[in-house]
Amino acid sequence: MSEVVAPARRRGERSHRVGGRRRQTGTVFYVTAGCLISAIFVVPLLWEVLRSFEPTQEITSPPSLAIFSHLGIENYRSLLVGSDDVVRNVVNSLVVSLATALLTTVIATLAGYGFGRFRFRGSGVVFAVVLVGFMVPFQAVLTPLFLELHDLHLLNSLVGLWLFYTAFNLPFGIYIMRNTFAQVPDEIVDAARVDGASVLATLTRVLRAIVMPGIATSFLFAFLFAWTEFLGALTFLTSSSVYTLPVALSNVETGTTYGGVNFGYLTAGAVIAMVPCVIVYAALQRFYVRGLLSGAVKG
Amino acid sequence: MSGGAVAGAETRGHRGRAGVPAPRRAPRTRRERLEARAGWALVSPSIVLVAVFILFPLGFCVYISLTNWPLIGPYHFIGLANYTALPHNSVFLQSIVFTLEYTGIVTIPILVFGYLLAVFVRSNRPGASIFRTCVFLPYIVGLTTLSFLAEVELQPGYGTVNVVLAKLHLASINTIWVQNANLALVAICVLVVWLASGFTMMLLLAGMQGIPEQLYESADVDGATWWEKERMVTIPLLRRSIALSLIISVVGSVLAFNQFYIITDGGPGTSTVSLVMEIYETFNTAMHVGAASAMAVVLVVVVGLITFVQFRILRSDDV
Repeated sequence: MSEVVAPARRRGERSHRVGGRRRQTGTVFYVTAGCLISAIFVVPLLWEVLRSFEPTQEITSPPSLAIFSHLGIENYRSLLVGSDDVVRNVVNSLVVSLATALLTTVIATLAGYGFGRFRFRGSGVVFAVVLVGFMVPFQAVLTPLFLELHDLHLLNSLVGLWLFYTAFNLPFGIYIMRNTFAQVPDEIVDAARVDGASVLATLTRVLRAIVMPGIATSFLFAFLFAWTEFLGALTFLTSSSVYTLPVALSNVETGTTYGGVNFGYLTAGAVIAMVPCVIVYAALQRFYVRGLLSGAVKG
Repeated sequence: MSGGAVAGAETRGHRGRAGVPAPRRAPRTRRERLEARAGWALVSPSIVLVAVFILFPLGFCVYISLTNWPLIGPYHFIGLANYTALPHNSVFLQSIVFTLEYTGIVTIPILVFGYLLAVFVRSNRPGASIFRTCVFLPYIVGLTTLSFLAEVELQPGYGTVNVVLAKLHLASINTIWVQNANLALVAICVLVVWLASGFTMMLLLAGMQGIPEQLYESADVDGATWWEKERMVTIPLLRRSIALSLIISVVGSVLAFNQFYIITDGGPGTSTVSLVMEIYETFNTAMHVGAASAMAVVLVVVVGLITFVQFRILRSDDV
C-alpha cells in the first residue's frame, strides 16, 4: 500500500500550500463519508454479533429496545457445552483448515522452488498442467471425486477433505511461489552454493527470509478457503462427527439438530464462524493484497 | 533427494539464464542431470496431488458422462445420450437461465461499486486504510456464514431486514422473501453485491498501485477534472485489473451455490436453483450420476474458457 500512499501525499501537500482551510474541510468531509461507507459494511456484522447474545425467543420476536436487557450467553453455552455441541465441528474445521493451509504451503513451496529455480525437461509442460488444474472449478468434479474418495476409503473423512482442499489450493499456491522464487536474486543462491549448502538447506536457511511473503500468501488463501468451504464438505461428509462448522450450521438451520430450527444457535454459530477469518485476515492482511497483485485469484 | 550431491544443482538460477532458450535435448553434463533430478523431486508431490484430485476426476467425469453409471452394479456406455438429454431437462435449462440472470444482475453493480470504493479508499487521507479494511470485512467473513445470517434476518415478522423496511414504510414486516422467486433473487443479489464489492475494490486498488503518479500530475497541470483523470488515466491503465475482476466475479457467479442452497433451497419450487445446485441435486438427491457428470462437463467447459481468458490477460501483461 505504501507505494500508493507516498506520491499521493505529495499531491496533498501541494494543495495544502494552495489553501489549508479547503484541505481541512476536505479531510473532515472525507472522514465523515468514510465512516458512513464503512458503517454500511461493518454495522450489519456488529449487529449480528449483538443478536447472537439474544435468546432465541427474543430473536424470533420483533426487535424492541427491551431486547438489550435480555442479552446473555445462552446460545453460546448451548452450542459449546450442550449435549449436541458444535465444539467438535469447530475443531474439525480448525484442524482441516490449518492442515490444508500447512500442506498447501509446504507442497507449493517445494514446487515453486522447483519450477522457479530448476531447469529440467518437461518443466514447462508440467507447469502448464498445474495451471490447467487452476481452470477446473472444484464444484464441477464433486461427483467423480465422490466416487473416487469412496474407493480410496476417504469419503466421510477429514483426511479426504483435507487432500481435496489442498489439491484445489495448490495451483494458486504454486503460481505464487514460482513467481516468488523466480524473483530471488541469483547472487543469494550462488552464495549459498559457494558455502556448500544442499538443495533443501538452501531453501530452508537462505531463501526463507525472501520467500516468507509468498508462503504467508498461500497459507492465508488456503486457510480462508478451507474454513469457509461448504459444498465439498456437504457432499463428502455424511456423519455428524466429522462435519465441519458450515455443514453443522446448515443442520442447525434446517432444524435437523437441536430438535428444531433455533435461530439463536444459528446466529451464534455464524458469529463463531466469523472469528477465525477476521483474526487470520487481520494478522496477514498485507499478504492478501500481495496475492491479489499476482492476479491469479479465484473469487 | 541426495542432499550434498545436489549441492551445485542450482548454480544457474532462473534469472541468470533469462533469454537463453531451453535446451531441447537430454541433459548432458552431470550437473544438468542432478539439477533435473532435484527439480523433478521438488515438483512431484504437487503433481501427484493435482493429478489424483483434479485431473483424474476431470477425466473420470467425462468418462462417467458417457455411461448410465448406477451407484451399484454394472454400467454401460450410452454414447452422448446424457448430453442429448440435457436440452430436454427443463430444470437444468431453467437453472442455466437463472444462473445467467443472476450473473447478469450482480456483475455490473459489483464492478461499479467496487470501482467507486477503490477510488475512495486509494486516498492518503486519514482513515483510508481503516475504511478499506471495513469494506473488505464482509468478503473475508464469507458468503456461507453471511447466508446463514441473511436467512435469519429475512424471516417475516422479526427479521431485521423486514423490521427496518417496515419502519421505513418500504415493505410489510411480514414479507416472505423466499416465497417469491423475484424477491428472493433481489435479496440474494443485494447480499452478494454488498459482499463482493469489497473484493473488487481490493483487486482494483492493487491495480491502481501500478499507475505512475506523474500521469495524474500532468493531468493536474492540464487542468483536468476528477472524472477526466479517471477516464483518461485510471481506467485505460486499469484495463487489465478491470478485466480480471470481471472474470473472477463472473466465474464466481456462474459457480454460485451456497447462497441459494442456504437461503432459498432453490425455492419456491425450482425457481432459484443455480447450475451448481442442479448438478448437486442431480447427483445427491436423484443419484443420476451420468447426467450430473454431463452437466458438470458443460460447466467445466464454460468456466475453463473464462479462466483461460484470465491467464491470457496475465500473460500478455508480462511482456
